[in-house]
Amino acid sequence: MNLLAPQAALAAGVLGALGLGLARRPSALAARLLALAAPLAALFLLRSAVPGVFGPLVGVDLKGLCWQLVIFAGALPLAFLSSGDDVEAALFLGSVLGMSLLAVAGNLIMLFVGLEFMSLPAYLLVARAGEGDSRLRLEAAVKYFFAGALGGALFLLGLALYYADTRSFGPAMGPLGPQGQAGAALMAAGALFKIGAVPLHWWLPDVYSAAAPEVAGFLATSMKAAAVLFLMRVVSLAPDAVFIRALPGLGALTALVGAFFALRQQRLQRLLAYLSLSHAGLLVIGVGAWAVLGKAQAASAALLFYLGADALMSNGSFAFLKASGAVTRADLRGYAASAPGLAAAFAVLLFALAGIPPTGGFVAELLIFWQAVHAQLAVPIVLGAIAALVSLGYCLSLLRDLYFEEAGSAAPAAPEGCAASGSRVVVLVCAAGTLALVLAPLFLRGLAGSVWR
Amino acid sequence: MSALALFALAVNFVAVLGITGLFANAGKLFGPKSVHRGDAELPYETGLPPLSPAHERMTVLYHRFAVLFVVFDVDLAFLLPWALNKPALGPGAMAAITGFTLVLLFMLAYFWRKGALECR
Repeated sequence: MNLLAPQAALAAGVLGALGLGLARRPSALAARLLALAAPLAALFLLRSAVPGVFGPLVGVDLKGLCWQLVIFAGALPLAFLSSGDDVEAALFLGSVLGMSLLAVAGNLIMLFVGLEFMSLPAYLLVARAGEGDSRLRLEAAVKYFFAGALGGALFLLGLALYYADTRSFGPAMGPLGPQGQAGAALMAAGALFKIGAVPLHWWLPDVYSAAAPEVAGFLATSMKAAAVLFLMRVVSLAPDAVFIRALPGLGALTALVGAFFALRQQRLQRLLAYLSLSHAGLLVIGVGAWAVLGKAQAASAALLFYLGADALMSNGSFAFLKASGAVTRADLRGYAASAPGLAAAFAVLLFALAGIPPTGGFVAELLIFWQAVHAQLAVPIVLGAIAALVSLGYCLSLLRDLYFEEAGSAAPAAPEGCAASGSRVVVLVCAAGTLALVLAPLFLRGLAGSVWR
Repeated sequence: MSALALFALAVNFVAVLGITGLFANAGKLFGPKSVHRGDAELPYETGLPPLSPAHERMTVLYHRFAVLFVVFDVDLAFLLPWALNKPALGPGAMAAITGFTLVLLFMLAYFWRKGALECR
């Protein structure tokens, strides 16, 4: 039973948060504590979890364990910034629980349960969390819901076709027939929907830019990590599935679309959404390389490192929006003069997002490209490099806005209060972590040895 | 995946679309064309003229009850197989199903407390 201890902690957190709702006036402090304590407890319990099989539905492997680490870590900023609303806490913890169930799914049915479990609360979270006008958020949530439902339906259809061919909810025993091929491709389409890969990306910028910044950070990190694992599980069903050959190309296209569309954005949150899309593209290239290399551990370690670095970069940059109150690029002009510490932290995060040394983002991109080189994916590498160059361009122009421009007449007032100072802490911690990650290659060999053995 | 298999798949798709399309519209295509006059198109309701249109729009509250009903209905569908196999399953299953039922009752209490069961 030790196997499912993190999930048990999260489930207890969900029930506890709902139990708070039974009181006449739910305690905000208790909801905050619960939202923070449950993921922390799950992280702690993960330490003693060991790979194993629990019944036909649950199988914990090393990949599942390591991915849960990234998922929980990516969820910590939202846990830290939670608003103290009991329903939001329950939704957040339920979504994380779904992600961790997806990580330990032993067969495709359980994978689907995990997928729905993590998605349904996330739709509501997008609609509910945040201040101000809720119409945009509602629209985004409805869009997200229909996109997610479509992805889920594609997955189920693929599952049925795959089962009809192979008579199994696990890996295929022999080569796939036409039905199985179609089924595997449809299941992968469901996963790519969740990741937001081109051409299934249309929902992503709207959702990320309308949601509250900290929720967008959660979606861009934990949810993306879970979706990447989901895609890897589908890929590992059958080595001869045809769709695998399309993955690097799709990833490269996604990276390009994200980078070029980000160029035109004036609203910062939408810009970060497109940046996140371009990162998702690199991850899909990484999954393609992992599949080509025969599921090499080095490739999945590279993906894991990228997701870990992303958990810091994306969460940090989205939290910066909350901490600074900046909405458009014009709001950033001369920001460094009024808040030098926060501006420096954001500059570090921008460096990391663009993949410039000396930051963890650079190491992460290097590792992914290294694996792609190993897999001899020439065209996706070139396209991905172009995307990286383009993102370099506008990250530098944002830096120019921060440091070398005069403040406009209508500079945003720095938000006051507990949430703003909390998000300031998140920005600083994430920036420091991103800088520290650059040292990772020094002890990565030892780390890999201790984690993967 | 051979070309022949792909061809077979395509033939299958076309055949399925064609046959279902044909069956779904067979009445319209081949059936006798009836002349609608007077009350012929009104739904039959105990011989009396209908009081309201058949396609009545329902309040969204109805769907809340419908979803709640389905949730508890599906949950009960888990209880029945357990009850039928209770002697064979032993104390572990008993503990599991008890925990499950408690969670269910908790959620019922939650819905009740939040006012989701009231007709408003």
